[in-house]
Amino acid sequence: MRRAFNGQPLLWLLSPAALLLAWALAANSGAFPVQLLVPPQAVYHSFTELLVSGELREHLVASLSRLGLGFGIGAVAGMAFGTAMALSRNVEAFCGPLFHCVRQIPSIALIPMFILFFGVDDVFKVLIVTKAAFFPVALAACEGVRAIPRAYFEVASLYRLPLRSLLTEVALPAAAPTLLTGLRIGLSRAWMVLVATELLAGDIGLGQLIEMSRQMLRIDLVMVGVLLIGLIGFCLEGGFHLLEKRLLRWKPL
Amino acid sequence: MTAIAPPIPPLALDTPGALSIRGLNKHYPIDGRRLPVLQHIDLQVQPGEFIAIVGASGCGKSTLLRLIAGLETDYEGQMQLDGKPIRGPSLDRGMVFQDHRLFPWKTVFDNIALALKHSRLDKAHVAARVNEHIALVGLQGFEHAYPHQLSGGMAQRAAIARALITQPKLLLLDEPFGALDALTRVRMQQELQRLWIQQRSTMIMVTHDVEEALYLGDRVIVLEPRPGRIRHVIEVGLAHPRERNAARLQSLRQEILGQLLSQAGH
Ligand SMILES: Nc1ncnc2c1ncn2[C@@H]1O[C@H](COP(=O)(O)OP(=O)(O)O)[C@@H](O)[C@H]1O
Ligand SMILES: [Mg+2]
Repeated sequence: MRRAFNGQPLLWLLSPAALLLAWALAANSGAFPVQLLVPPQAVYHSFTELLVSGELREHLVASLSRLGLGFGIGAVAGMAFGTAMALSRNVEAFCGPLFHCVRQIPSIALIPMFILFFGVDDVFKVLIVTKAAFFPVALAACEGVRAIPRAYFEVASLYRLPLRSLLTEVALPAAAPTLLTGLRIGLSRAWMVLVATELLAGDIGLGQLIEMSRQMLRIDLVMVGVLLIGLIGFCLEGGFHLLEKRLLRWKPL
Repeated sequence: MTAIAPPIPPLALDTPGALSIRGLNKHYPIDGRRLPVLQHIDLQVQPGEFIAIVGASGCGKSTLLRLIAGLETDYEGQMQLDGKPIRGPSLDRGMVFQDHRLFPWKTVFDNIALALKHSRLDKAHVAARVNEHIALVGLQGFEHAYPHQLSGGMAQRAAIARALITQPKLLLLDEPFGALDALTRVRMQQELQRLWIQQRSTMIMVTHDVEEALYLGDRVIVLEPRPGRIRHVIEVGLAHPRERNAARLQSLRQEILGQLLSQAGH
């Protein structure tokens, strides 16, 4: 699949184009009520309207800043906690079972409780996003650090590497492949759960755009929101893949 | 005690690299019991000497090298390098492993340069020394290659350059060519001999290849398994560089193989 992708750079456009065509044909055929199956050109029109009015920008800024803040806190805390768990038997003994138990709770299942505690505003949304990012990142950091071969540390000790070099030039790169995968999964989960929190509560954000538009029966705007969410998630993950490829270019393919 | 024909000119008294091991015992705890791995090892290595160690697998060759390197610190007995007790790793003892142990995320240049991190040299000096050692092992043009882009022999050359760049008094080699094909191995043996004659540092090499041991070693030490003990010390007594099929090497080879095979039934 990767090879086809590389050899024929535009081939991937085929399936979205086919989907768009099918959508346009179905919507314009008159077989479905226009309020329910809005034609693509109407969705595009609504999109440009939202864009020009600046409303879209507000929703985007709200969603992305919640994501950035929540993911940032969750990722940093996850890396710290995961590393501590990998290195210290005590941390593992005291926190391991609790960690692995809470990890099983879907972030969405925590939404009602978090609303009770923190209200429906940004604090609750950021905290849910933090939780969604924290666990995959912590798990990856723990496993990544634990899997560093002892041989690497032996070489480091033979050459009396200073602690700083040991951490940044040996331990971090050795754990990086696992860690980056965890970060990517964490980012993707954080994005999804953020949309869910915005659907349920609040006044601004992409999820809220969808929910408000639904209440007003503006399916065109719902579609704008849905498509944007998919597109942003795709870009986040794609960007992260590029970053991974760049950072891990030393790896044999 | 000394070689029949000293392979290298007599060394000045202050030449470093004299290793002294007395009454060395090593146990590993297995299932709550103390399993003896090395028993009563006595070995005096002269500065600049090349010692080859052969023995059945599992007889403690790697353990012995790891003890000398300071990677294992729990032992009984005395080990001294130039009169200083061995308590842990130090830059005056270098080690090359069977797997090259280069860091896969670093280029050849950076892998070798890492060995100089401790010495805090400035960048220009590091670059000069690294390039000099890259040339020494014949890896020019591969400075910026990652380990996975190298052949096994090239990776091992890089590992040797990394071990030599700190100018250790004693270089330990644990089956360094064991994973290479026969032709590459022969070439690497010649290279190592050339380096050894150039550097004059003491070298101890573990190998399972008796020919390799005889080709390179001033003395060949035959270990006996369970627990690891020194069974024989053979003075090769030929000057370097050697003729591979010299009659003396052939007869010594038969002798050593005979000793190793007689252990097998035991
Ligand atoms: N870390 C360890 N813990 C327990 N036993 C070990 C350990 N390392 C080596 N041994 C045992 O010590 C013996 C000698 O091992 P080693 O020195 O690797 O042998 P060689 O290099 O001669 O093949 C083997 O029986 C091996 O199982
Ligand atoms: Mg071994």
